Amino acid sequence: MREKLHPFHITLLVFMIQQGVVVFSLPRLLALHMGYNGWIALFAYWGITTLNIMLISIVYRLCDGQSIFHIIEQSLPKIVVIPLYSFMILVWTLIGCMAAKQYVIIYQVFVFPTTHPMFMKFVVDVLAFILVIKGIYNISKAVTSFFWLVIWTVLLLLFFIKGFNWVDLTPFFFHEASEPLIGSLNIYTAFLGYELVLLLFPYSEKGKRFMKAVHIGNLFTALTYIAIAFICFGFYSFNQLKRMKYPVIDLLAYIELPFVERIENLIFGIYIFTALIGVVMYCWAAIETTQRIIPKAHSNWLSAIIIATAFAISWIPKVLSEVEKWLQYLGYMEIGIAWGLPLILIFILLFKKRRDESCIERSES
Amino acid sequence: MKDSQPLNSSTKNNPTYVDENSQSYDESDIVPSLEHTLDNFKDCIDLTHRTFPHINVNLVYFDHLIGSDELARDVIIPLSQVREYEVQSLLKRSQYQLATDSKTVIKGILNGDVAIFYKDLTYLISIYKPESRSIQQSETETVITGPHDSFIEVAMSNLSLIRRRLKSSHLKVLKLQVGEVAKSDVYILYIDGIANMDYVQQLVKRIELIEVDAIHDGNMLIQYIDDFPNSIFPLFSTTERTDSAISKLVAGRILGILDGSPSVFSAPASFFEFFASPDDYYQRWAIGTATRVLRFIALFITLSFTALYVSVTTFHYEMIPEALLLTITESRSRVPFPPIYEALLMEVTIELLREAGARLPTKIGQTIGIVGGIVIGQAAVQAGLTSNILIIAVASSAIASFVIPSYVMSASIRLIRFSLIILAGTLGDLGIAMGTAYIIIHLSGLTSLNSSYITPVAPNNFDDWRDVFIRAPFWALRNRPSQSKTPNVIKNKMKK
Repeated sequence: MREKLHPFHITLLVFMIQQGVVVFSLPRLLALHMGYNGWIALFAYWGITTLNIMLISIVYRLCDGQSIFHIIEQSLPKIVVIPLYSFMILVWTLIGCMAAKQYVIIYQVFVFPTTHPMFMKFVVDVLAFILVIKGIYNISKAVTSFFWLVIWTVLLLLFFIKGFNWVDLTPFFFHEASEPLIGSLNIYTAFLGYELVLLLFPYSEKGKRFMKAVHIGNLFTALTYIAIAFICFGFYSFNQLKRMKYPVIDLLAYIELPFVERIENLIFGIYIFTALIGVVMYCWAAIETTQRIIPKAHSNWLSAIIIATAFAISWIPKVLSEVEKWLQYLGYMEIGIAWGLPLILIFILLFKKRRDESCIERSES
Repeated sequence: MKDSQPLNSSTKNNPTYVDENSQSYDESDIVPSLEHTLDNFKDCIDLTHRTFPHINVNLVYFDHLIGSDELARDVIIPLSQVREYEVQSLLKRSQYQLATDSKTVIKGILNGDVAIFYKDLTYLISIYKPESRSIQQSETETVITGPHDSFIEVAMSNLSLIRRRLKSSHLKVLKLQVGEVAKSDVYILYIDGIANMDYVQQLVKRIELIEVDAIHDGNMLIQYIDDFPNSIFPLFSTTERTDSAISKLVAGRILGILDGSPSVFSAPASFFEFFASPDDYYQRWAIGTATRVLRFIALFITLSFTALYVSVTTFHYEMIPEALLLTITESRSRVPFPPIYEALLMEVTIELLREAGARLPTKIGQTIGIVGGIVIGQAAVQAGLTSNILIIAVASSAIASFVIPSYVMSASIRLIRFSLIILAGTLGDLGIAMGTAYIIIHLSGLTSLNSSYITPVAPNNFDDWRDVFIRAPFWALRNRPSQSKTPNVIKNKMKK
């Protein structure tokens, strides 16, 4: 019997997919696009993502834990299914590869200015490949271990209680916000990742606890973001925050211990665990979808091809701003998938339910 | 049983296998006789053939496999005192087993039986008592408090040590054989009602599938039957300590004893199990907990100290506080190599010292360790080959590696350390993080008897954490480990 994912592991999986490099620039994005006390907007984001997860809950309840691919393929013609799948594969593969590239370039900028980023990208992709071929159950096991190695870093925020200044929070709310519409979408990308649970239905233990676990994971992400953003808004002045590229990395640079200081590179190095999980899970989603188009393909070869393709594509954007631009547009598309896919599925499932009911009525009469 | 299975063609055709295998297999159809038996053991000068002409009885046995007192008491004296017409009735006693085929006779003689040939009948009597060392303290798993006896090379003595402490009819013992040539006995032990029978069946099946000339030790046997033979980590736990073996049985795990080896293996095993020592339970819980935490700190130090030194001194000087920076720079100023070479040089030296110390007699080994460590360490610094700080880092990680109670696990971790040092020298902190990520990915994929190797972290079980990462007070340790998938979960019904 295939082992199923326990709700606890679903929670950690959701949390770890959502956590990514964007957390290091999130306070700046909030300051820039939400204005003074922009961190409060994170509550709204949590509310919106919760609504999205509720839509996924409806899908889960209606399909009774079946694979979403199964539902789509049963109801939609192949001519619609294949382009839809191809779009999903493209977006997920590109998100995976660009997230890795973003992480690598930031690290390169900070530590290895002379090293070619694609060398580091290659190592990250090899790690991603090794993990992705182990299957979702082993991925979730790795995620659990990575979680414990990463989560303690949140405690580092305690170092900034002393430097926290309530005055920096100011009595203004969302004042001086620029490009709120585009900006709010950019901030929303920090929460993306939960939508991949749509693919986890057949791999998880059936029951209400599954979706509860997703909600808890999302809540945990929101609380972490709120804590980090709150500390940043109280530690830096508003204008300072707007000008810093990665305020959280700079924040970590303030930590001084008797034996070690400037631990930002070390902590950023540790965050490869979360970046890796993001890459792996998006690639895994792409592989799962590709397998629906080419069911006879060997999964290891498929994984190798998808990751190699992602690696090849990641040569295109050369600098960080280009990568961020790619990620921005891919993020918008992913927001579309996160909201669109559950809505399509709900529509299909309700339509199917109605058709089944009318069939039963007709047969009874 | 393995013996009843026909040998496959590859075994038969393999010239390295002794002819006796195929011969003894065919022996099952042959009526045993003295001539045939002596012919089988032709050129075995250690075989003893003794005759009692007055009663027409012949004895065949290996003198070194049997107890001389038992031989005199159960065979020589009774046979010396009877007349020929009384022999038949004497051999009807229950200790004499009638053998109907030649294979049984040959196998019996090899297993320490005495074969008694009387007319056309053959009887076997088991008086197996080979020479063995006495029960002593384990040298690899020493404890300060708690029982000091440990397993020896004789499986029967080991079984006796376990039975003495586990007086339960639920303790079941299965006997198997491994080694096409050596035919060593393997005993599988489990507690009926506590152990999961799926694990027992899996283990038996894996041992039955072994086809190899000989297996000399429990640590060797487990490499033939574990789930991932290519992994660097030991997937079954081994121990020489009786108390440790019994605790594993009671926890619902399966025990394996190989005759000829003092290392008893247990399965399924978890990665974290290798960081527990029986000592933890003989001390107060707080001390037990502190020691266990110390071992995990030791794991971190072993893996990362030298690697961090290399990473910091190669790429991340900014991480060193100003006060310490001067000392480190001064220490490194005379060293002409990059930190990675310096670190690898010292790590290899430490490994050489460790290996030399392990191979030499205890007293010389200690001298080598101390003198070699101080002289080489001191001289290397003075000669400008290495820095003082590195000596501290390397020595700390070497000491920390010996804190890990399992020697096999400690050796695996020491080897992994080298790859982390190389990664640190190539990619700095990111290299260490990537190496750690790889180790975790590898560990996540491992299983022991098809159960997760990193349990209770994944699949997560917080109840088990109380007996893995800490040693909680006994009242809090109520359940058997989840990995054992035991049908009887509760092990402690006592309240606080």
